[in-house]
Amino acid sequence: MSSSIFDKTTNSLGAAINFRQQRHQVTASNIANAETPGYKAKVLEFEDALSRAIDLEGAGAMTATAPEHYALGPGAISHARADVYDNPDINVTNDGNTVDMEKEMASLQENSILYKAALQLINKKLGALRYAVTEGGR
Amino acid sequence: MSSDFSTGLRVSASGMAAQRLRMNTISSNIANINTTRTPEGGPYRRKDVVFEAMTDTRNFGEMVTQPVDQNVQRVQVTDVISDPKAVDMRYEPDHPDAGPDGYVAYPKINLMEEMANMIQATRGYEANVAAVQASKDMAMSALEIGR
Repeated sequence: MSSSIFDKTTNSLGAAINFRQQRHQVTASNIANAETPGYKAKVLEFEDALSRAIDLEGAGAMTATAPEHYALGPGAISHARADVYDNPDINVTNDGNTVDMEKEMASLQENSILYKAALQLINKKLGALRYAVTEGGR
Repeated sequence: MSSDFSTGLRVSASGMAAQRLRMNTISSNIANINTTRTPEGGPYRRKDVVFEAMTDTRNFGEMVTQPVDQNVQRVQVTDVISDPKAVDMRYEPDHPDAGPDGYVAYPKINLMEEMANMIQATRGYEANVAAVQASKDMAMSALEIGR
């Protein structure tokens, strides 16, 4: 049995923070280009990939050597990749732009809150660790 | 895709700069609504900005070493065009710029249109400010890890 200090929880929280950072960039790009003719709004999706990677983390030990392989075993979480595609809920304006400002602002705030939530969870985890290394605050 | 804080800030800043330039153009249009003389001759022509999405790269080195990321794009004003709309001819025979027939060429600027564009530019700017604020909040809370 392995009980490393930085376990699956820390790894998945770290990956989630990374993905949320990327989603923030994509949303910021959509907002900046809200009035650019012909710009297509992008969506970044990572939830499915991450939850699959969390399930596969530690299951058998195999190495992914090609991008189309499913990563198994240790490191599955760090191999998870987000999916970026053009927003399919198309609401094209006359100039071919598909940015929905309300949706982008909502996604920006939601993403920011969940980012902070993941950071708080990491902090709790580290707090517990600190409690242990200071011998229970003694 | 890189996951640093500066990319998001840079993209939002480009959006703010573009909207500000648009706002300046609108101000110029409103200020010159009755201008009949310009250095190029003739009445003032209504100006409009052209926005273009650009791939976000900081410098040449990054362009060479990193695969171009098409998903994060900043915005840039690539051109300021002069509206080719016809001029507004008004009969004012006493005006110094009146032609032999007594008509003066005024710029054809619709004040309502300019005001609507101004509100749109303001909202666009505010949205980018909100994105900057969110970037900042996220970066600040990331600094709190382990505190």
